[in-house]
Amino acid sequence: MATPIHVPRINNNDDEVKVLAFDVKPGERVSAGQIVGQVETDKAVLDVTAPVDGYVLGFVAQPDEIAQVGSVMLWLGASASEPIPEAGAPTPDSSTAGPSPVTGKAKLLLARYGVKSDAVTPIDGRITVEAVERYLATHGLAAAAPAPVVAVSRPAEPRPEVPGTAVALSREEKGMAATVVWHRDCAVPGYIEIDYDPAPWAEYARAFQEEKGLLMPPLLPLMAWRLVEVARTMPRINATFVEQQRYEYGAVNLGFTIQAGESLYLAVVREAEVLDAGGFVNALGDVLRRAASHQLRESEASGATIGFSSMERWKVTRHIPVLPPHTAFMLAHAAARNGRAVLGASYDHRVLNGGQVVAALKKLSSPT
Amino acid sequence: MMSDASPMAADSANGVPAPFLSDASGKPRIGTDPASLFAFATLIRDTEKLILDLFSRGLVSGTTHTCLGQELCQMAVVRALDHPDDHVLSNHRNHGHFLSYSGDFHGLVAEIMGRRDGVCGGYGGSQHLAYRHFHSNGVQAGMTGIGVGLAAALKARDSRGIVVTVIGDGTLGEGLLYESMNLASVWQVPVLFVVEHNGIAQTTYTRDTLGGDIVARGAAFGLDTWRVSDREAGFIDAAAAVVAQVRERRRPGMLVIDTGRLGPHSKGDDLRDPGERAALAAADPLAALAACLPADEVAAIRASCAAYLQAVERRALASPAANFDPLPEHSFRPAQAGQVEIPEVADGNVRAALNSALHGLLAAAPETLLIGEDLHDPYGGAFKVSAGLSTKFPGRVISTPISEAGITGAGIGLAMAGRRPIVEIMFADFLSLCLDQLYNHAVKFPGMFPEATVPLVVRAPCGGRRGYGPTHSQSPENLFVSVPGLTVLYPSHRHRVGQLLADAVLRWSNPTLFLEHKLLYGEKCDTADYEILPAGDDDLGAALFPTLRRGSAAPDVTLLAYGGMLPVAERAAKILETQEELAVEIVAPALLAPLPRQTLLQALLDRPRILVVEEAHHHFGVSAEILALLAESAYSGALARLGTLPVPIASARSLESAQLPDEAAIVAAVIDLL
Repeated sequence: MATPIHVPRINNNDDEVKVLAFDVKPGERVSAGQIVGQVETDKAVLDVTAPVDGYVLGFVAQPDEIAQVGSVMLWLGASASEPIPEAGAPTPDSSTAGPSPVTGKAKLLLARYGVKSDAVTPIDGRITVEAVERYLATHGLAAAAPAPVVAVSRPAEPRPEVPGTAVALSREEKGMAATVVWHRDCAVPGYIEIDYDPAPWAEYARAFQEEKGLLMPPLLPLMAWRLVEVARTMPRINATFVEQQRYEYGAVNLGFTIQAGESLYLAVVREAEVLDAGGFVNALGDVLRRAASHQLRESEASGATIGFSSMERWKVTRHIPVLPPHTAFMLAHAAARNGRAVLGASYDHRVLNGGQVVAALKKLSSPT
Repeated sequence: MMSDASPMAADSANGVPAPFLSDASGKPRIGTDPASLFAFATLIRDTEKLILDLFSRGLVSGTTHTCLGQELCQMAVVRALDHPDDHVLSNHRNHGHFLSYSGDFHGLVAEIMGRRDGVCGGYGGSQHLAYRHFHSNGVQAGMTGIGVGLAAALKARDSRGIVVTVIGDGTLGEGLLYESMNLASVWQVPVLFVVEHNGIAQTTYTRDTLGGDIVARGAAFGLDTWRVSDREAGFIDAAAAVVAQVRERRRPGMLVIDTGRLGPHSKGDDLRDPGERAALAAADPLAALAACLPADEVAAIRASCAAYLQAVERRALASPAANFDPLPEHSFRPAQAGQVEIPEVADGNVRAALNSALHGLLAAAPETLLIGEDLHDPYGGAFKVSAGLSTKFPGRVISTPISEAGITGAGIGLAMAGRRPIVEIMFADFLSLCLDQLYNHAVKFPGMFPEATVPLVVRAPCGGRRGYGPTHSQSPENLFVSVPGLTVLYPSHRHRVGQLLADAVLRWSNPTLFLEHKLLYGEKCDTADYEILPAGDDDLGAALFPTLRRGSAAPDVTLLAYGGMLPVAERAAKILETQEELAVEIVAPALLAPLPRQTLLQALLDRPRILVVEEAHHHFGVSAEILALLAESAYSGALARLGTLPVPIASARSLESAQLPDEAAIVAAVIDLL
């Protein structure tokens, strides 16, 4: 019966050694204690000796190979013609479970296009990117290699050459930066404005003030309320664009820009569509007061589905707002001049076309 | 020498001169005549009475421990130190030592009151004082190993200075003390352990807590031993003679001083019966000194002390509350310029790279030395990292007793004395034994005392997959990254690991833990296709210890891995790329603490999916911190982490491999993330 000579351990803390050389040849007769080869770890070399008399049958490890301590290095036999025993079946490696039926990347593609995996014909038993792309192509859903929706690679920005001091952004400034980057990278923004007579709106707000006994005519809150009403009847202005689909929101969360000191907030009245005009004017007033004192609640500082921006306070007669993330319509209100004013809107062209925006603006230009 | 004929020194800041003379370094010169001793001891006692009075008036910040009754005991050894290199390491009951060493009465009172004029600017309070070569800290026996290290540094540069480490008899219960005494004996360094034996530890009598004999403890370690009483005539001279002998013999000693505490341990915790307290008061050494002096001289000394301390009190009260300007956000010293270039070992593995770095360091920087267990040739360390070094650099590669806390403390002492020690802990699991030295000492001094630097590097092999079982397989970085002021490095074979070690030792003067995964020792050093991420401007050490990345610039998933987990993450990435068709990026930091936050955010914030993998018991650990960082920075992608479950790591390979995250676990976690 053949005798294995195992790779010896040199150092207690090394599981692998390098096989340096064999001093014997296959077929050679060796005696117990004879040196048959050398192994090495860092800086230490060890002779390997034959445990019994016999003939060298063959080598398993090879010179210069890194071998596991305890593995078979060479075989000795009682005769030179004895066969080398076959290696035992490899022990199953529990760490490598079979691959999943859908590749990870294919899974991402299926989710992006809203396709169920059982609709796709597997290739060689697996749903791969190629299999999904074939399905998409045959169903007219996309080109074979769609551009990534979100740019994930960002080249390192070169630093300015002129010396200066880097000032960390405040939370609000970071929010603004995120907004404009979304507007630039994600939306396909457009802008349209119409000319309108602001007098009926002013009269409507004055009457509302009188009826409710308010201190001031709530012109802007009422215009924002009108936007909520229009959004109820035109769901596509209260929407965004997700994975090649228009995503119409289930609620109207009205975002209203307010400058509080150095900070610009988009203060949000959530589920505005369930309120009435009076309730909305009160709710917006509450939110704006909290914004003015920098005490917006988390739910009031995020989640806008549609926006309203006015720069009347600064006597600005026209401005083009930036779209807040995941909105498709931001109304732009400005100061009147010579009895006329403009009402504009920034919009996401993936969701709305010009005609739809003009239709919405026309509704918004009068109080009823 | 002070005498009642010329008692005044030139401290005119108070308008009242200090009633003692000082030497060139500011240390009071206290004569051995009864009047001089009585005068200085009275100053100490009255200062402590003033402190207690201030405490009762609500003017003391925190707590304080007085040495009432032990003034001569505390003065005797310190007053005899007359070499500029002499060090004093004290403990919670340190006012007598401090005042005898510094003469800074105003600085002490203001410090204890938490005022700006305090000797440590209000940072230390009563227990944590630093002044030239005087340091005290609040952990029993915590300074004893440090004292051995300081003494070893003195010995190495042939100084005549000695180190005095003072403990109370209550501290005889601390194990580190015996590690330190043994180390001092083995190294034959000039350190004197002074045991102030007042018979009571806080409220518990020593007779109820101490087995065996005190002096025999010192003798058992081969220390020269002495026992004296501060109630006996000739005590001051006897203590001075002990100091002289340690200085002369250049070897360690132990001096036990029997003394008596007249006051409480702290305040209001003196529960001893009145008879016992009366007996102690009757044996008060100050009263005995006063009895040797004419009554009018005693009265004159008392009046002079009272006038001086009134001025000290007035000035301390006038000092504003201590304040930070600006509030320090960390205690790290910046990276130093200059570099020892460590050549890369051609085709070398991590072990060879580290060995080469140690060779380079020992050759280029005489202040470096290696301390650890079994480092010497021919063994060369448990993982052979120090092979060949003890032969080439005799005396600078020191195999130590099995005393992890003691050698860490000694490393701190050596570092404080300007050396750059590299301490090897044989298995990172044993770092738990060093924790107090790192957590309460190494990082505290640079944080509290601006002039203190502790350029200590502790190296330790860590990690599992070797079947070594629960106490030889762990990755304890999760414990150490949370220690304020401790740098934790855990590089991989993809980093220039030898250069990182050299830079940690020579260019990063902060206490640093350098972790090395056991399985990486045999891995070939190869930066492969990794690139260095630009270091964030605010990230301390991030340029010196860079974070690497490789793989897709538009990844479907980013794997963040470090140390021994990196090869595993690379194997997982390959599976994800080939079998799952995913674009994978790997981000590999080497610096875990201080975490290079900006660097990581710049690399990760816009990534769609991130999985942080680590071999450590990861709850509350590195991955938790990175995920929190991303969450706080409004990261909007998908996040997950993978680590070892909170159970002991098993010995059997089959069990261990089921516990530690492997490539299959990483692949599964990524699939879950999609």
